[in-house]
Amino acid sequence: MMASHGLKKLTCKDLRSYLRTLSHSDLDTLYCHPATCLAVFRDLPELSRYYVMRILFVEQAVAQAVVQQWSTAPVVEQLEAAAALVELRVWFEQPLPGGMPGWILNPVFRANFRTALLGGGAPWIGHKDLTPDKYSKDIPFLDKYALDRWECVLHFMVGSTEGTDGVNKDITDVLLHSGLMAIDEGEPSITAEGFQFLLLDTSSQVWFFLLQYLETVQSRNLSLVECLTFLFQLNFSTLGKDYCTEEMSENQLRFLQHLREFGLVYQRKRKSHRYYPTRLVVNIASGLSKTNIDTHRPGFIVVETNYRIYAYTDSPLQVALLALFSETLYRFPNMLVANLTRTSVRAALARGITAEQILHFLRSHAHPEMLKNNPVIPATISDQIKLWELERDRFKFSDGVMYNQFLSQSDFELLRNYAKDIGVLTWEMAEKRVIIVTKAGHDEVKKFWKRQRASSS
Amino acid sequence: MTDKVTSCLLIIIVDTNPFWWSRKRRVNDQLSLTHCMDSVVVLGNSHLMLAHRNKLAIVAAHTDQSVFLYPRPPTEKVNMTKLPDDGQYNDFRQVEGQVKFQMSQLIAKDKEKLEDLFEMEEQPPPSDSLVAGAMCMALCYAHRMEKDCPIGENLSVRILVVKGSEDCPSQYMNFMNAVFTAQKQNIVIDACILDTESGLLQQACDITGGLYLKIPQPQGLLEYLMWVFLPDPVARSKMALPPRAQVDYRAACFCHRHLVDIGYVCSVCLSIYCTFSPICSTCQTTFKILGPQKVSKKKKKV
Amino acid sequence: MVNVTKGVLVECDPAMKQFLLHLDERNEFGRKFVLQDLDDTHLFVSSDIIETLQEKIDELMDQMSFYVSEK
Repeated sequence: MMASHGLKKLTCKDLRSYLRTLSHSDLDTLYCHPATCLAVFRDLPELSRYYVMRILFVEQAVAQAVVQQWSTAPVVEQLEAAAALVELRVWFEQPLPGGMPGWILNPVFRANFRTALLGGGAPWIGHKDLTPDKYSKDIPFLDKYALDRWECVLHFMVGSTEGTDGVNKDITDVLLHSGLMAIDEGEPSITAEGFQFLLLDTSSQVWFFLLQYLETVQSRNLSLVECLTFLFQLNFSTLGKDYCTEEMSENQLRFLQHLREFGLVYQRKRKSHRYYPTRLVVNIASGLSKTNIDTHRPGFIVVETNYRIYAYTDSPLQVALLALFSETLYRFPNMLVANLTRTSVRAALARGITAEQILHFLRSHAHPEMLKNNPVIPATISDQIKLWELERDRFKFSDGVMYNQFLSQSDFELLRNYAKDIGVLTWEMAEKRVIIVTKAGHDEVKKFWKRQRASSS
Repeated sequence: MTDKVTSCLLIIIVDTNPFWWSRKRRVNDQLSLTHCMDSVVVLGNSHLMLAHRNKLAIVAAHTDQSVFLYPRPPTEKVNMTKLPDDGQYNDFRQVEGQVKFQMSQLIAKDKEKLEDLFEMEEQPPPSDSLVAGAMCMALCYAHRMEKDCPIGENLSVRILVVKGSEDCPSQYMNFMNAVFTAQKQNIVIDACILDTESGLLQQACDITGGLYLKIPQPQGLLEYLMWVFLPDPVARSKMALPPRAQVDYRAACFCHRHLVDIGYVCSVCLSIYCTFSPICSTCQTTFKILGPQKVSKKKKKV
Repeated sequence: MVNVTKGVLVECDPAMKQFLLHLDERNEFGRKFVLQDLDDTHLFVSSDIIETLQEKIDELMDQMSFYVSEK
């Protein structure tokens, strides 16, 4: 079918939808650490955040009716805000003494969230004062290190040989597990999802990769909760500061080694007692926003209204990525000129890449000069790419079975209501007395109709 | 569709007038400067907590100077009160430590001056704080931050004034200049008043579209700050907040700095005077006093 | 009596629907494929024609588009 080109669109969960998949007891254990509470809080909808701030210092349950009066936002938004808090167990329902329904903050969350804000409690792991590092590293070094490591992974995915010897089994496992790569003739090779992955910005890539990695931790005999706690703590660490590995559990140390392989932390030697978080992991939890710009790496793409792309790059990876949706015209040692054409964009769309992903790629790698424009990508280009996408989407096909020529309105309504009740009705038109049910529901409806006729005659 | 990310800068101006706070102490009020500073720091940290990109600055408006409590200039060595290593988020601890350190510096300086003050007893101690000066510093800081803002990022700025001491009409000019600058720069000014109503801040909030609130119970300061002043102006539309107060739109005259209901206004530069003066002191325009109109003789004949 | 027909429900914009009706009328695929004209945006067509239909639509789209960029 045209609408579903047989390809899966790469779906990347944000923090909230990921945490929603965890069990309640896992969540409660996670909230035992201030860093998690902070990360979760920042990811809540705006209104929910203000709710939490409002009742942070209220030790008892607050009537739901009262909470409702705090906001003048539309009821739908208020309900969403409350639901988000329930889902993540930040608060739950508790009846007031008078029997009115009330909300009460999760006590574990409240305590640790307050600790994060006001102090008290146990220090975070590794936040001990260290003696100055003999081999201390500055931020540019860490940035370069992290980026090099990460590009290794990307290079490995596209099959280029540049510096891919650093890619070991752990990374390959995750890539295969996530479906970004698949075993093809004994060798892992990139899939359509993989190409979509490559078009994401770095922080989204890291976040997606980590989620996939976390799915595999249990099979590596690591505790998910321990890893997450540590990860959230890294999320709030300071770039360019060294942290100490003492007090870390055996599991966390192993997790740290994995993160080191991905380039998320820098550790000079495996046995070294200190590590530096890199930019890839700092603030990773908020990484999945639509508007991220890789600030630590200047953009290189210029898009003009005449559909030309100028890319100042010599990286074969970036060239390969651009070639996914454009036609290369000229190639110079340090730059490349390409054309966006209908054919090239359609080829990308056929691979399951969406117009939004293409635009996001162009935007997040836009040249600093381009960023001065608003919108960054010329409107003609972004509109045209979206139109090309819509053009493929003019039809919606759904297999079904049509029932028509009913003799009476009551017969029609009977059958329609039945189909609607069992959820197989795709389309109806009362004037012409036509209904269309899904293929799967056809048998059910047919049986029902036969029963009806038998009983009525 | 905008491609830009917005970060929020909150600048808190705290009135640290020692005379006012000591008077509060003498009448055994429950609100102390320590309590107030703690509440302000918690508000600041809560603001930082709301989003990763949010930024914070805290300025102290003292009687004779205004000081940045946080952040300190990058050239300066980071001095901070050593706080216990506990579960607090490191960035928040930085804020708290620096603010505490700067406050203790400020108070220590005052102590030195204290003896001088006792000697000049005939002169009443200054009872106002340099709020206007602090606001100008805040505006300059906001301007610099906007310039430093990386391309593709937007900065929205707001100023919150936490004030206890009384208004000082002598600051009227500077104050209004600062307010109009803020209006021009799309900076919202909010005011949280601890004691007596402030006509000047009422005007400032009204002009810039901020919130003005005189808190009824000062010991609940933190709660008011968290609920009323934590949401940024965009989020406020979703919140049920106290209604706008009546605004006292009296201006201070330029000659004696009194607040006047009715006064004289220079027709050239719009300066305000409480008494008539033949020469405008601002723009040097001379005004001729016109006597009653002479009845023309010609008319009489006809 | 109720008539039961198997097929595919097509949802599209009115212009595209007219185009499909046109193809049907001119017997482009050698036979009729529209089973029922439902309303402005819905058609019920026989399922075996979909692949050919899509090729035809792509062809039409190719004819309708022009090169936006100069070489």
